[in-house]
Amino acid sequence: MQAHRSQVGDIELLRSVAEQLKTPLAVIARQVELGELAGDMRLVDTAAIRTQATTALTLVESYLLGLQLLYEQTELILEPVSVSSMLVDVAHELESFARQYNTRLELRIAGRYEPVMANHRGLKAALLSLGYALLEGYPLQNHTLTLAVHRTPHGIVTGVYGDYEKLTNKQWRRALDLQGRAQQPFAALTSGSGAGIFVAQTILQAMTTRLRVGKHLNQHGLATTLQSSQQLQFV
Amino acid sequence: MANILLLEPDNALANVYVKALEQAGHNIACCVAAEEALSVLDDFMPHVVVMELQLTGHNGIEFLHELRSYPDSQNIPVIVNTNLAPAALRPLLEVLDRDLGVRACLYKPRTTLQRLMRIIAEQARG
Repeated sequence: MQAHRSQVGDIELLRSVAEQLKTPLAVIARQVELGELAGDMRLVDTAAIRTQATTALTLVESYLLGLQLLYEQTELILEPVSVSSMLVDVAHELESFARQYNTRLELRIAGRYEPVMANHRGLKAALLSLGYALLEGYPLQNHTLTLAVHRTPHGIVTGVYGDYEKLTNKQWRRALDLQGRAQQPFAALTSGSGAGIFVAQTILQAMTTRLRVGKHLNQHGLATTLQSSQQLQFV
Repeated sequence: MANILLLEPDNALANVYVKALEQAGHNIACCVAAEEALSVLDDFMPHVVVMELQLTGHNGIEFLHELRSYPDSQNIPVIVNTNLAPAALRPLLEVLDRDLGVRACLYKPRTTLQRLMRIIAEQARG
């Protein structure tokens, strides 16, 4: 068993996840009630129910995966992963949720990027959780959320960016400190507990990387730096 | 039929409330943030405000202080419908009730549409 974090940290993450699950479950319950009250089930937005249920399940699965990767080292298989194609998959999965939140998804994956060393399931779950959290937590209408990858001298950077006010390192550290202890750890960024962001951070920590504040073109967000897979450099 | 200002930061949940309120015959102005709600007040005078306390930017308490600072919105009934657990809400109850004139505080995950609609109708009737 790896000792990356304390049990207190795990309880705070669990609390944060539980807090975040209130919203999708409330949407599902109220949607069904709306149809029952009006005596017309055609009023029920079944697409909204399906999307909210999927979000809730993704959050729970990602949370469990994060704990598994942290504590069961045998699960943590690092393999060469193509970030660009993974971002295409993630964008596809976020699409219906983004529509519900009147947000346009944009992919910036142009360029040739060598594969990175990562746990495939873990990286996908982290990016999905981050995407869901930022879509749900940032209540501006008609904005654009960008999934992007770019190269820096330190490695391949991939993240999720939006038309947010600049998120500073200080705000990010404060949010990490407040995780599970405050109702709104990200006062400027999200209306919820931000559980998806903390789950993404947990998964990335298990892969010995982390989330950090990032900027891509004119958008701000959260990103992680991954190392190229040396195994495939010459392929 | 009443004018309802709904301040709900979650878009998916707001959609359900708007549909239910429209079904009940009300006019709705729906906002996701306090600043937006305050600017809506220039053109839309609500009979009832239904709001979450956890908002981005200015929080719900700040919004209520500002709402109560305008002469024409000092007496509008406000219903708080929040994700804040009752234990977390308890220390705020006195301020909400005495200083900010909040008529009802509801725990959103446990508040059915039926109950919310009933309380809105009661408050709209005065």
